Amino acid sequence: MYNVIKKLLTFPRRRKEVLPFTVLFKKFQDILENNNLILELMADMGDKLGGEYVFDRRYIEEAAEKVGDHVFKLISGLSILTQRKNVELFVAFERIRQAIQGELSGRHFLPSGNLVLPLGELSSEMSEQVGDKMAKLGDIHNRLALTTPDGFVITTQAFFEFMKQKGLLEKAEQAALHWDAGDDAAFEQVADAMQKSILSTPVPRHLSAQIFAQFDALAERMQRSQLALSIRSSGWGEGEDTSFAGQYASLLNASPDQLIDGYRQVVASAYSFKAWSYRLNKGYQEHETAMAVGCQVMVESAVSGVLHTYAPDTAEGAMVANALWGLCAPVVEGNRRTDTIIIDRTPPYVIRSSNVVEKPQRLVAAPGGGVAWEDNPVELHAVPSLSKEQLQELSQTAMRIERYYKRPQEIEWTFDSSGQLQILQTRALRFRKTHAAPKPQVLEAVRDAEIIFSDKGFVVQRGVGIGKIFMVESDADLKVFPYGAIMLVRYTSPRYSSIMHKARGIITDVGSPTGHMASLAREYRVPTIVDTEVATSLLQTGDEVTLDATQNIVYRGNISALDRFELTEDEVFEDFYEYRLLRRLLKHISPLNLLDAQNENFTPAACRTFHDITRYIHEKAVEELIHLSEKKGAQHLSAPKKLIADIPLGLMVIDAGGGTSCPPDARVVTPDQIVSLPLRDFLSGLNESGMWCTKPVDVDLGSFMASLTRTFPSSMASPKEIGRNLAVVLENYMNINMRLGYHFTIIDAYISDTINDNSIYFRFLGGVTEFIRRSRRAKFIAQVLTHFDFRVEVHGDLVIGRVKKLSRSRMTERIRILGGLVGYTRQLDTQMHSDKDVAMHVQQFLDVVHHVIGGV
Amino acid sequence: MKSENNQGEPRLRILILDDEPIVCRRLKPAFEKRGYEVETFNDSASALARLREAAFDIVITDLKMEGADGIEILTQAKKASADTRVIIITGFATLETARESYSKGAFDFVAKPFKLRDILECVKKIEDQRQATQ
Repeated sequence: MYNVIKKLLTFPRRRKEVLPFTVLFKKFQDILENNNLILELMADMGDKLGGEYVFDRRYIEEAAEKVGDHVFKLISGLSILTQRKNVELFVAFERIRQAIQGELSGRHFLPSGNLVLPLGELSSEMSEQVGDKMAKLGDIHNRLALTTPDGFVITTQAFFEFMKQKGLLEKAEQAALHWDAGDDAAFEQVADAMQKSILSTPVPRHLSAQIFAQFDALAERMQRSQLALSIRSSGWGEGEDTSFAGQYASLLNASPDQLIDGYRQVVASAYSFKAWSYRLNKGYQEHETAMAVGCQVMVESAVSGVLHTYAPDTAEGAMVANALWGLCAPVVEGNRRTDTIIIDRTPPYVIRSSNVVEKPQRLVAAPGGGVAWEDNPVELHAVPSLSKEQLQELSQTAMRIERYYKRPQEIEWTFDSSGQLQILQTRALRFRKTHAAPKPQVLEAVRDAEIIFSDKGFVVQRGVGIGKIFMVESDADLKVFPYGAIMLVRYTSPRYSSIMHKARGIITDVGSPTGHMASLAREYRVPTIVDTEVATSLLQTGDEVTLDATQNIVYRGNISALDRFELTEDEVFEDFYEYRLLRRLLKHISPLNLLDAQNENFTPAACRTFHDITRYIHEKAVEELIHLSEKKGAQHLSAPKKLIADIPLGLMVIDAGGGTSCPPDARVVTPDQIVSLPLRDFLSGLNESGMWCTKPVDVDLGSFMASLTRTFPSSMASPKEIGRNLAVVLENYMNINMRLGYHFTIIDAYISDTINDNSIYFRFLGGVTEFIRRSRRAKFIAQVLTHFDFRVEVHGDLVIGRVKKLSRSRMTERIRILGGLVGYTRQLDTQMHSDKDVAMHVQQFLDVVHHVIGGV
Repeated sequence: MKSENNQGEPRLRILILDDEPIVCRRLKPAFEKRGYEVETFNDSASALARLREAAFDIVITDLKMEGADGIEILTQAKKASADTRVIIITGFATLETARESYSKGAFDFVAKPFKLRDILECVKKIEDQRQATQ
């Protein structure tokens, strides 16, 4: 707190050279402009991931270069504004730029330290690094929020480091030549020798150290010192185009001391005669072989199996589950009879048939490691291994996975001894051409369908979603959002991330295809259309619709043919190399890690993405400008003009260009000479608030006005500053520093017709009453600001609110509301006797706003 | 002979040429979904060979490629069949290249990246014109 006040009230730096204010202000505007360009470019790049655009590699290279250029200019701009070198920022920039170059040149691997990665950091973009199997389990765990056994992966980079020893990789390349020569016997000998060399090659010490460090971290997460593991292959291509199922080794129920040896065994299994020749047969090049190895906690399975989310050979429109008591392996290997259950693919997932077989035995983790068969209790022999509830949960989960990957899936699963469903693996099901469902022609499928609306708004994420509309109007609605519904909302908001995994689609009236919610919809691959304008007037909760976010049409009813078309498409655009590349690049560009400017980590060194740098510079530039305008840290600052107004604000106006219509050397300015859009609206809001404030404060208008000029207590300000409030204005901009009553307020606002430039920054601090009442007032302000879409941070009595990128009219409303708020809160702390008062005042304020300013 | 769709109307035949495979891979299913017949090529030599042996209603081609460029493809396609409509797609869109494409008879000139919808509409326009003149 002390630091914050110190930051606000002191200005310790000395400048080498004092530049004209107009020059510095121009630089500030350049920074704003570059800032916006960068945000737009980032949004554009993110936009391309939605599937609506056709782009190529050249685009990715150019866009990455362009965004880098602007970030560089931004740092240079800040250097001029602050007249410092900002070496640390340039260093951060260079680090990020190098990472992007690395991605573009195909070096996906981070320079060091990522030989082993925990499950929590994995996603499908990392399949080159961690193999397809583990990359997908990363999605399952981190994006779909489903349960999969916790663990870590020894990456393909570790594989290459391991295999470089003793020239193992070169040996493998050589061996593949024998295969080309068609000499099977020779190839088999080479394969045997290769496996032996791998098994006898030591794992590099720094690698084994990292493996054990990850194991220790895992044991700590599990709060168990004794952990059994399953050690499984996660190779390139495995589980992707070609099913390598059963080709590679896995170790079940392994103890920690088997980790290193188990790792070598799994790696060696890539070079067994069976697996190697299979791979070469399929046309894989030797350099396309890389084996990551997943190490996950061994699950105590009660019942396990495999589910196919689509089984046209068995039954149209159905899923098929095979299940057994105990571990999953026998179901995968297919060497035991299993219960077979056929279930509808659509909610409520009715069970069509259930074939229960004799299950005399089950595979379990053996006490001394490994697995063993044991007899089932007699009463379990002939009963279904899955309950209806379990089937329901399994079906829902399976369809969530299928929706995410947009392909029928083969899912290995288990219910553990506590009844928790755990996903062990998922891979795309491929159908032989002759067995694939005939491709329905999309035109025929929709020929007779009723179109509710089409071509409204923007497609954010392509895809088809069928379900019932559920309109979300409040946080309470979010809590009861039904699984499989299509979310209908007025405005986009990142708050909806909480239901993304349940929604089959999203439709909004208002919103930007480049906002935060749009990124989330793409991340979760939820078919989404925003800014339709009409959706909430044409749709209501309960309507069954088919949202075709590929064609941008909303149909009435369930047009399942459209859905089926999506599932049988030859290729899923998200899986294309270029999409994965762009997504990986954006990881160095878009995520924002520097959220809180008050945090001590808000430093150049902490910038991990271009967005971080952009955010940092924006904050620093605004800060610099506030300092400049407060402290006259510039030459030729036009003479401050005193505002002559009904409300005695004691406001000095500095016109930095086009903000007033009076002569430059004039020493006074009247309200009708104020051209600056934000200041004009702020003053009008403040004026109107005078009327409102009579109620809660219970004073007449005259005394309210008089109180505005009340002097400050000596603890808050030096006598010189009393009654002197400052506004730096341009036609579309104001930066205002105000002390009214006992409060200190800063507003930095830019309002124009260019939506992306618009922003309001509001900061409130001060008050003389005891801390608890001041906190209530802060709470009041925070609630009001939140109501009007500000992003709000509260630290004790300090409230910071930000709102950006709304239309000019909505920005104008908000600046007027801030005028009202400043007036209303002027002496509110004296009124805040209890927490209940907060809600009362919020309501009262909103009522008056509604009455005076209208529908906001 | 042109094949027919389920309504008995002839299906338009489209040749797509772009040296970046992703462009063909995205366009092919999108056009097929609407009932067009599509062939794709990643190098201009094989596309030119194909143009010599079969007639296409529409050719969608990249502008800058190794070997014959988009303008050359445009010229050859028009020579093979004057009715063929050619759409040029390019990441190097300049006024000059656009002007040259149009003067050589291109139907449209589309800058990359483009929306799938835009190119589909462009093809639909050609289809509508065809139907109107038949």
